[in-house]
Parts: sequence; structure tokens; C-alpha cells
Amino acid sequence: MRRSRLTSQLMATTLPLAVLVGAGYAIADPMLARNMSSYGMPGGIDTPTAETLPEGTLGATISKSDYALRTNVVFQVLPQLTAALRYSRVEGISDFRDDGFIYDRSFDLRYQVVEQEGWRPAVSVGVQDFLGTGVYSGEYIVATRDITPRIRASAGLGWGTLAGKPRVIDATDEGGTANVENWFSGGAKPFASINMQVNDKLSVTAEYSNDVYRSSYRLRNGNLNTFQQGDKEPGNLNFGANYKFGRNYEVGAYVIGGETVGAQFTVALNPRESAYPSGLEKAPAPVRPRPARDADPEGWSGQWAQDPTAQPAIQKSLSDALAGEGQLLESMALSPTRAEVRIRNQRYVQQAQAIGRTARLMTRALPPSVETFVITSSADGVPASSVTLRRSDVERLENTEAGKIAAASALSDAPLRQGDLTMTEDLFPRFRWRVGPYLDLGLFDPEEPLRYEVGAEARASYEITPGLVLTGAIRQRAFGDKEQRGPGIPASENNGVRGDHYTAEEYLADPSLETTPEGVPRVRSDTRMYSGNTSPVIPELTLAWFARPTEQVYSRVTVGLLEQAYGGVSAEVLWKPANSPLAFGAEVNRVRKRDFDGLLDFRDYEVTTGHVSAYYEFSQGFTAQLDVGQYLAGDKGATVTLTREFENGWRVGAFATKTDLSAEEFGEGSFDKGITLSIPISWATGTPTRDRASTTIRSLSRDGGARLEVNDRLYDKVRDSQTVKLYQGWGSFWR
Amino acid sequence: MNMAQARNGAMALTLLAALAACSNQGPDEGGTTPASVLARTVQQAISARTAEPAPAAAPKSAQERVAEALRVNPGPLIQVGFEGLGRTQILAMTGQNGAMRTYMTPAEEAVILRNGMLVGTKGLGRDLAVAEPGTEALIRAGQSGRGTRIMRYLGGDGLERPLQFDCTTGPGPNPGVITEDCAGHGVTFQNSYMVQGGQIPVSRQWVGPGLGYITVQTLRP
Repeated sequence: MRRSRLTSQLMATTLPLAVLVGAGYAIADPMLARNMSSYGMPGGIDTPTAETLPEGTLGATISKSDYALRTNVVFQVLPQLTAALRYSRVEGISDFRDDGFIYDRSFDLRYQVVEQEGWRPAVSVGVQDFLGTGVYSGEYIVATRDITPRIRASAGLGWGTLAGKPRVIDATDEGGTANVENWFSGGAKPFASINMQVNDKLSVTAEYSNDVYRSSYRLRNGNLNTFQQGDKEPGNLNFGANYKFGRNYEVGAYVIGGETVGAQFTVALNPRESAYPSGLEKAPAPVRPRPARDADPEGWSGQWAQDPTAQPAIQKSLSDALAGEGQLLESMALSPTRAEVRIRNQRYVQQAQAIGRTARLMTRALPPSVETFVITSSADGVPASSVTLRRSDVERLENTEAGKIAAASALSDAPLRQGDLTMTEDLFPRFRWRVGPYLDLGLFDPEEPLRYEVGAEARASYEITPGLVLTGAIRQRAFGDKEQRGPGIPASENNGVRGDHYTAEEYLADPSLETTPEGVPRVRSDTRMYSGNTSPVIPELTLAWFARPTEQVYSRVTVGLLEQAYGGVSAEVLWKPANSPLAFGAEVNRVRKRDFDGLLDFRDYEVTTGHVSAYYEFSQGFTAQLDVGQYLAGDKGATVTLTREFENGWRVGAFATKTDLSAEEFGEGSFDKGITLSIPISWATGTPTRDRASTTIRSLSRDGGARLEVNDRLYDKVRDSQTVKLYQGWGSFWR
Repeated sequence: MNMAQARNGAMALTLLAALAACSNQGPDEGGTTPASVLARTVQQAISARTAEPAPAAAPKSAQERVAEALRVNPGPLIQVGFEGLGRTQILAMTGQNGAMRTYMTPAEEAVILRNGMLVGTKGLGRDLAVAEPGTEALIRAGQSGRGTRIMRYLGGDGLERPLQFDCTTGPGPNPGVITEDCAGHGVTFQNSYMVQGGQIPVSRQWVGPGLGYITVQTLRP
């Protein structure tokens, strides 16, 4: 066991009571944001401040005025680092679609360089809409300080939009890359805001802003086209008021330049604040201490092991008790002094909680001579780690500080030998089915911000032995607005007109369209061809085999219809010792593109895609992943992913992929990048379940840097019961 | 949204709700998606609206409930008033480890006591993971003095966090009662114990910021 990591995970930090009471944004915390700006960041109305949000906060702000409708998602990545993703409908601008408005995505980062201390204000520096030159591109340095407990003032210098000097947008640029050479250039102007907290719910803001709400485009022919957003240029003074209600909500109204009125609504969730922090699941069974030696001499002597009926009876009762805790007892080895159980946790977000409850039940089920408990966590049939405990420690330390039992336990790779493990009777083969509704959402499409499809889904799995699983699903759409449609017609093929799409019929009729004019096979940009089937479709139909060739190496082979658009064979190996934060993996797939009817047929495109990967788990839940290899379109390159996972299971990540496709070959966005979000359902409902709500927000579905979406990749599967994640959640051991 | 759309939407949700329940899987085996949570909520809302109110049984008096519990359970029993939750319940002992006893409600919420002194709670949502009262010896001996009390709480992030309080013990307003006044982290609380021969048959103890106080009364030691 790596003691240093363990100590750091368990090290008790004494937090203000407010964290436990869940008081939300306390006024007493000096530099936590009082309200969100219309850009969905801590700020005034249009101007930024140096405030931050509580670490880990995930929020969304919808802000509407005559200038724009902005949907903003904000995340406090680190105590100092704030990131926002914005999807705006900007009024008054016409692009090739000539709608009188455009949909525009933008991304901001802000870093608080110093906190407020003594006379010194907090100071932050930020970049707004910094991927490519965009409507809102600008940079700033801002200082914020509390003048009185109620009044807070901010002042800063802004460039670009914030200085009223919007950058000229190159209409021919594919966008998506940072134009660092433009940053903090073109002349700066000051801005300022002042906020007064009227009471704990209401705050009012006044600000001085230089934003002129104008955008300029350099057209293909060299002409400059300038638009006034909204109806008119605003003045410099803006006023607003914000009101908080409930634990997570805020509404606001503001006036821009004395004439344009706007309103906004914010919901902010803090992963550290849960309605039921310790969960509503039933209390665990109490530890049952062993009777004195002379009260049960046979049990203490180990004589019972001679009786061939002993193990089956013990295994049956332990298996039944574990089933009541949402655990499957896959197999068990029992000797007079040692018991190993292989459990599959199906209920608790924290593996430590499953292990703790198993240890409690073992004290109730096993004869007194058994002193060593080995609890092996099985990740859907693959043993991923073993925790070894002494029974006397479990008895001695029940309901004490969780760190004590952690120090008395040992984490190791699960033993490889299967010899004396006895499978629990009647568990395998295991058939599971479910018929229910599904809701499929498409978010942030440039032309339709929200698309949905609702229908019925039947899903079944047949697990022949642990680790060998046949899985299938069939869906029938009921209604929705995700219709079948071909990919966008390249402007070069359409007399320079952008924004038109092939119809499904046109696309089907001409196989040559499945390659872009630049010669890139359409591996993802025709994803919409798979939508809108009114007859049943098969989203997946696979046979997967998980194994562990050595103690520290895991393997997976999946064959069948792997995902919506591809079928074939996928094979993966992963080296991941239970006590190591470092892992290496390799994956190779031979796949063929599925037909658009979503059934069993294939199209002509076939490719080998695969990656070698390195993974590292840093402290505080950060995971970095690097994949290098060949992508679906045959392009070669690398993906960098950085994910933060909070102790309660919230995951927020960002990824970027660059391959040997040029920005022109890739198309709008220049390279593939996106954000992933995943929230455990139990966090919201309080009832224990391992299910999650997950989504990936990526720049357009493009063909470069696209990966196969095969289920059950090994890394996330085995990691729950291994050193970093196990000890992160160890506080739940006795829960 | 016009009326027809609203009606269609409602029908769709009803359809989803009707679909939500067919499976041979246990509740732990996946299938909980945002859509199914929504569907279940709709289903519950519909059934709550259509359900007939159950005929009200004559409420039992506190004495009747105590008498019934003593009759049904042969083992040790306590009555606990959860002041923060506004309910009083009878808990039966489900396990004993040395001096530490685990008592549970019928819904399997647990209160853990060591000779009457609160050690922890489980299953109440804002539980006390473990209390380490440095004042325990003073209280049992009925002495005045000072000590440190550490209360550990499981946070929403899965971490156990300690809160440390400075406590003073002394005689309470009534004979036989010892009080413990604690302060720290901007809160103060007062625990009261009736001590008899080192045991604490009756007490009022602070669980934590989420649950407030509980009163514990021993029905059968």
C-alpha cells in the first residue's frame, strides 16, 4: 500500500461548518461570486470580475436580451481556474445562412492570480471566446475588492470586445484554434463594476462597459462587413439586480446602456453539497464479534472445515446476505483461517462502502477460526483488486474513524489462481432484460440547439460465465425531431453556398458523396443518416470477453455491432496494477461501417483503427489520458484528455484530438475537441445506484480524430476498486 | 405551448411512465437513466393523484406503542426523539460489539450508542459518522472539567471530515444530570446526560448540523 497517497486522501481537513450545513454561497466567504454575468461567469453584467465559484461548481446560465440569447455552462475547475462554454444566438448578424442571427459557440478561461488579502484586491486574468476569432473575443485583467462587507468593487482593463474594438473575423477561417498573437492587443480600455449585497438574497450591480456590440467580418472577396448586434449601439452604463432562491437558483434582470432590457436565470450545482451527504441507504449490518473460545471450541478449532456441507451452506447464506446489499457473491474460497470472496458491487458509488459492508457480513457468516478476510472486487467478472483485512481489526475498529481501518488493511492485485474458488451456485449463466423508454438528446448543433428522440428500447444481456457477456438492444422510435439527413454540402460543390444539406435520398443515391471533396471518408459527419429510422433499429449487439492474463494485465475482446455506425472486432489490453496511478493500454479494432437502416447490413467502408494509451491518476481526482494511433478515417494523431472526477462521482473532462488531417481537410473547428460531463444518478436522488447521466459536448461531428465508441473499455471498468478511487471514497467504509 | 401540444406531451409522458417498469433486473442493475427517473416521477405523481386516501387507522398513543414494542421485542429497546426530523421512534438492538450497541428503526436507520453515549448514526442522510468524546470519562464520573470532542461527518464527496469542539462538563439544573457545553466552528450545543452508576439511561445529545438533537430514553436496558 502506498502510505503517502493513502494519507493524503484521508487527511482530515477541518472545513467551515457551512460546508456541512450546505449554506451555499456564504456572504462571509470573501471572493465567491455574488452573481453571474450575462456571459455566465462570475461578474457584473457584461464585464468580468476577479471572483470565483466554490471549487467544483457546475452551473448553467441562460441570459436573454435584444442582443443575444446566451446559454452558458460554467465549471470551476480549480479554486483559481474558471471555464465557461457558451452557445449564443447573436442577433443582427447574418452569415451565409442569412437568417438575421447566427448561432455561435465560444469558450472562456479565467485564472485568479492572487486572492484578496489585507489591502490587496483579488486579481484575475482571462480570455474570452479565445478559440478562433469570434464575436465575443477579448481579454482582460481585473481586480476586485470588498470595500465594505456589503459593497464590492471591481476595475479592470479590457482588450478586443471588452475595449469596444471587436476583432475582425476572417469568414474563410475554419476557426477552433487559439489566435494567441491577437491576445491583449489592439488597445485597451478600462471597465468597472460595483456590487451591493442588499440582503442574503438580493444584490444590485452597476457597471461601466465599453462593449459596442459590433462584429466585423472579412469576406472571401476581401470586403469588410460590419454588423451592429441588436438594434443599436448601447451606452456605457449598465444596471442589474439578482435574486437567489433555493440552494441553487438565481434570477436576474439588467439594463444595458439604459435602453436594452435583459433577463437571466442560473442554476449552480456544487458536487460537495448534496441533499443527503451520507446517503439514504439503510444502515449496514452491525459487526458480530466472535464468541469466546470456550463458548465455541469447534468453531475456533477449524474442525468445521472437515464437514463437506459447511462451505456450501456458508456460501449460500453469505450470498443471500450480500444480495440484500446489492452485491453479487461470484465465488468464494474458504479455509479454516482464511476466506476470499469475489464480489460484484452493483449498488454503491464508492467501492469502499461495498467492501465495508461485505466485511461486516463476513463477521456474521464465517466461523470464528477464519481470521483473514480477502475481499476481491470484481468489475463485471474481472477481478480488479483485493483488500485484505484481519477480522480482529474489523471487530476492534467498527464505527471508528475510517482512516484506522484503512491503515490496518492492505490493497493488492487480485490473486490469479482460481483453484480453491468455488462459484456460487445458480448465479451463472445470468440472463437480464429490460424494456423501457429512451430519450436521446442532441445538444448544441449550430442550426438546431436541441434535438430529441423518444421511444421504447428492449435491452438484454446474457452472461455465460463471469466475463463472457452477450449484449443486445433494439429500439423503436416513437416521436422526436431527429430526422434522417445527409451531411452538409461543401460550399465548393454548391456554387459557394454554405449551409445546405444533402437529402437522405441524394446521399444514398451517390456513393461518391461518402468521401468529402478533400478526400476524407465520411466516418462521422453523416451521423444524422442513422437518425430518424421509423422502423426498429439495433443500437448494439455484441459478444464481449473480459479476462486477466496476468495479475496486472486485463484484456477485452468485443465482436459484433459495436455502436450505432460501426461493427466488427475490437481488442484491448491494459496494464494497471492495483496500487499504481499509472496505466498503459493498447487497442486495435477492425471495423466496417454499418448501413443507415441500423440493422445487420454493412456499407463498403472498412478500416483498422487503434491506439496505444497512457493514463495517469493525479491527486484530487484529476486523470490524464494520452492516446496515440490511427482514427476512424485512417488519419493518424493523438488525443489528450484531462478529466476531473470528484469524490462523489461527478466527472468533468475536456479532450482535444489533432491528427495529420489539415485544418482544411478537417473543416470547421480545425480539430476535434469537446467536453464530457457525467453525474451519478444517486447524487441527485439520494438512493444508491451506480447509474450515471453522461453527455459529451463536442465541436461539430467531423471526420477527423473520430474514435470508435465501443462499450466497456477497460480503464474505467477496473479503476473503481484500485488505489486512487478506492481511497478517495474510503470515508464510506463503515457507512 | 398550446393545448394540443400540452396534451400530446402529457400523453407521451404517460406512455413513458407506463413503460418504465418492465424488467427482470433488480434495482441495482442499471437501467436508471434520466429518462427513467423522469418517467418514474411522473408515474408517482399520477398514482398519487389517483390514489384513494387510505382509511385512517386510529393513531396509537405513545404508551400503546411502547407497550407493543416491549411485547414484540425480547431484546434491549430505546426510544429516540429525532428533534430535527420531528419524529419519535422505538429502536431495537440489532448488534452489540463490546460496549457498543447498534439500535435500528423498523426502516433500518441506526443509532449507535456506547453505554448510552452517542457514537454515530446511519441511514438518516446527514449522519454522524463517529463521535470521539474526550469528555466521556468526566461525564460518567459526574465530574466537572474540560475536554475535546471530535465529531466526524461523511461529506457529499465521500470524505470523512472531523469537526473539533471544546467542551466543558458540569452539574445540570436537576440532580443526577450532567451537562456538556461545547463550542467550535461557530456553533454551540449542550448535551445533557442522566448518569446512573456509569450508565446513561436518559440523555439529550447533539448529532450534528444536519440532524440537530436526539433525546434517548432506555425502555429496556
